[in-house]
Amino acid sequence: MRMSITKSKVRGRLSLIMGPFVLAFFLAIAAHAAVPGITGPAFKLDAAANYITQPDGMQVYSWGYGCSATPAGFAPYATGASCGAMQVPGPTLIVTEGQTVTVALTNNLPSVTGNTSIVFPGFQVTATGGTPGLLAQEAAPGATVTYSFTATTPGTHSYYSGTQPDLQIEMGLYGALIVLPKTPASNCAAIGSELGGRTDYRLAPSAYDHASTCYDREYLFQFAEMDPRIHQQAELQVQAAQAAGATATALNVTIEPYRAAYFLINGRSMPDDMDPSYAPNYPNQPYNGNPHMHPGELVLLRVIGQGRMEHPFHEHANHVRILARDGNLILSQTDPTKLGGPLLFTTDTFPGQAFDGIFYWSGRGLNWDIYNHQPGDGSVCNPDSNGYYTTASGAPANAPNYYEWCADHTRPLQTANGGPATLPDPLVVTNGLWYSGSPYLGLSARNGGNVPAGQTPLPPGAADQNPEAGIAFMWHSHNEREITTNDVFPGGMMMMMLVDPPVFFIDETL
Amino acid sequence: MVSRKLYQVLLLPSLVCFVSLVAQAQSFRVQCPATTAIHPTPLPSGSAEPAYTGPVKTSATYTPATGGTPITLPFVNNGGAVKCQEVSGGDGYMTEADGSQTFMFAFGPLSGLGLIKQGLPGTQIAADFNVPYADGPNYLNGQPNPNSTVTGATPNGAIGDPSGIMNTGVLNGNIPAPLVAIDEDDELFLTLTNVGMIMRPDLFEQHTIHFHGYPNASAYYDGVPDASIAINIGGSFTYYYLAPDAGTYFWHCHITPPEHLQMGMVGQLYVRPRQNRVPVGNSLYASLQLQQNDLRTTCNPAADILCSVPLPAAPNSVTQVAGAKYAYNDGDGTTRYDVDVPIQIHGFDPNFHFVGMTFNPEGFTDMKDKYFLLNGRSYPDTVAPAGMATEDSDGFSRPSQPLPALITLKQGQRALLRISDLDVTEYQTLASLGMQMQVVGYNAKLLRDQAGNNLYYTTNSITLAGGESLDAILDTCVARDTNFNCTTTVPAGTYFLYTPQLDHLSNDAENFGGLMTEVVVTP
Repeated sequence: MRMSITKSKVRGRLSLIMGPFVLAFFLAIAAHAAVPGITGPAFKLDAAANYITQPDGMQVYSWGYGCSATPAGFAPYATGASCGAMQVPGPTLIVTEGQTVTVALTNNLPSVTGNTSIVFPGFQVTATGGTPGLLAQEAAPGATVTYSFTATTPGTHSYYSGTQPDLQIEMGLYGALIVLPKTPASNCAAIGSELGGRTDYRLAPSAYDHASTCYDREYLFQFAEMDPRIHQQAELQVQAAQAAGATATALNVTIEPYRAAYFLINGRSMPDDMDPSYAPNYPNQPYNGNPHMHPGELVLLRVIGQGRMEHPFHEHANHVRILARDGNLILSQTDPTKLGGPLLFTTDTFPGQAFDGIFYWSGRGLNWDIYNHQPGDGSVCNPDSNGYYTTASGAPANAPNYYEWCADHTRPLQTANGGPATLPDPLVVTNGLWYSGSPYLGLSARNGGNVPAGQTPLPPGAADQNPEAGIAFMWHSHNEREITTNDVFPGGMMMMMLVDPPVFFIDETL
Repeated sequence: MVSRKLYQVLLLPSLVCFVSLVAQAQSFRVQCPATTAIHPTPLPSGSAEPAYTGPVKTSATYTPATGGTPITLPFVNNGGAVKCQEVSGGDGYMTEADGSQTFMFAFGPLSGLGLIKQGLPGTQIAADFNVPYADGPNYLNGQPNPNSTVTGATPNGAIGDPSGIMNTGVLNGNIPAPLVAIDEDDELFLTLTNVGMIMRPDLFEQHTIHFHGYPNASAYYDGVPDASIAINIGGSFTYYYLAPDAGTYFWHCHITPPEHLQMGMVGQLYVRPRQNRVPVGNSLYASLQLQQNDLRTTCNPAADILCSVPLPAAPNSVTQVAGAKYAYNDGDGTTRYDVDVPIQIHGFDPNFHFVGMTFNPEGFTDMKDKYFLLNGRSYPDTVAPAGMATEDSDGFSRPSQPLPALITLKQGQRALLRISDLDVTEYQTLASLGMQMQVVGYNAKLLRDQAGNNLYYTTNSITLAGGESLDAILDTCVARDTNFNCTTTVPAGTYFLYTPQLDHLSNDAENFGGLMTEVVVTP
């Protein structure tokens, strides 16, 4: 609905381009994410040029890191995974604390581009081969440099070019390094019981060697922005330099004044970021940004600021407990068994900085039953010591209301059932594409025998983005200018997070 | 100019006609029940907030509207009340500090008009909200409502009849949007009535309310149009919330956010803590211990990684004092203050607003704020009295910027700066001269680690992005004794809050103004 309204306000040409892409996305199957990457600890990477795609139809000439040889493995799953010669962001490198990591980088960029390199902030790096540079040892065109370091600190880290970074990072030469804890916390719940014995997509049970860092699900978001004029200049100059008789030996790209027009999550703009990881239509942008979760699950957010700008990212629906910044766990000064990081509903991401945080959604305190249970319908909610319906209070692992907040069980929302609120007439409202069709969570609440008065009937196909009738929340940059794609709303640094009913299996490989 | 006026005069009745047809289907509907199952006793007008003496296990009875057997369910009573507020979603004009008039998409008051006009929160208990509005002679006769002269008998009652809603709501947009303030354990019925944007008849835009920061939100009442429903022109949607944990939140429209926020649909919202309601003489620490007896109000860091007010690291003997106010349920009295100062940081790009008024497609990439606003005003308007008004395109003047940012304190007093930022383009910094700010809360959460240590910090400068909030105590007292009595104060005089981002100290082409206000300390 809002799409069509917006289209009337955007330039006609762009809306025509945008239309088919948006439509294609709406017909796609819901996709999920996890933190896909390649395992080491020895990595063979290269830097190369290719094109990335944006939802307005632009093919943007970019540079990216990729795999120069088949990686040792993929995590957390290998089905459908790939690592080509160039991707944005670069391959997510997954290692374990204490390992000696080696990264051999071959410079396959066009020779007129000059040298390139990688810096690994926070680690003591030694390099062999290559040629000396200012921030790092560099690889000349066609040559290889090998970096080596000990993965001393767990957590989420960035890596990026240390050569002419104002141009090379803008062009896409950045990526993530995930260091898993050497001794994960032993108190973390076995994921099998949390998910009813389903597949575990975590890289580890905890983010750090600390009992307060357990998690059930994880997502990695790398934020960056692009000025397409820079990319166009680079493309034209490289083409000119490769023409017969050309004499140019270096690029001369004007960076300032900088005018960002694309705002990226893992190299993609909304809605592309919600398509699957490794989707064939984004051959050089393999990673998506599409969080799903069940009520009560602890969700680890790994976030990196890869560009030049700050991005205040608003996680609708709850706060995020910041665990660590750049891999440094924030603990109480008086009791190191306790966390000390802030609780934020808008998480700041600064250039070059990474943070880890924990989020969950439980529905506690709404004062109405999110499942629309009715007295006498046979539904059960026995509270555990924290007030939720879990295995600790006898819930089967596949309970349709697993982790329900029991104090609100069968408490009505609508006046028709004795509750406080009268819902608006369905004829005077507009339904969203992710609207579940009712205020409630799950198909059984929407289509159950006890249909509440005033419930909005959805036209056929209206809930294509949310067929499981989860409840959806927008996660987005609150520099709202950045939830656009080259002047068109919606787009950019935005995604829809879904809290799915517990009975819906979240397959992170799709 | 004449033709434009004529156009407006013709447009207004046509829109009213359209809406009156819709109204027959009862699409305007204001909700504020006198009682609910968990608040069964109506508070009389003028009541003080019910005292908090710990959770009481009781039961609530629900009777379906369709009849049938009443159902009794267990319930934990912590006090609170039914609170209500009604706002319009539409458009309007405001006055910049250089005298320019700026077109806005904006929210305006449809209840609590007298309170809003005085710069106060417009939120009321049901007994005050449900009194028929009676103020201003032209309220129902087809002329724009003068929007409360605050001389009538009941200038704060909610406007519920369709013609009154249209006469009052059209072009009555405010910046910031009407101030909402509730107490923990309240039920809030916040009604949004979409009166249409009369200056943009080409748009059939919905509006929504996003309660920014509401924990464990439902998608239905979260205000994201993609994830819920959004109210069309000519209809009302009542948002229902059980008050979340105390803190400084804010609210805004979530339709096309880069447009509707930039255009002015931003407002303030804060939640006062249970600790304000602890009886005089009772221990604050023991009262926070009582909150551990209800699973909804408890904070056990070992079980809940997102709970923010664990008991202080060590017990204390601080007791409740008459009239004391706190930012959070701190259990140690450290967030006590005297004066609430809601401050919202925002920015307007005049080019974007002009393009938005003239039916042209707006560009987002080049959006650049040139007016920097505290409570919708730039200096020197920030220190002007409450109730700034702007002449609208129909020739009538309506209140546009009700809330000054002037801070007046007596020596010894502490102000709680409830700062929120809804700028959509960049970070903004606010600094204090002469007095320091102690930051006690961030993003509507007390700054306290899980072991119970306060992590407050003292600073002369805070920086926020759009979508962030912060609680800072501005203290005129330099030293206090153990009974919290001030022993040394700062000198009386005028102090400043201003931005050291020097390019933000401007009102478009004017070089001096922008993000600045005064703090007047009197003996």
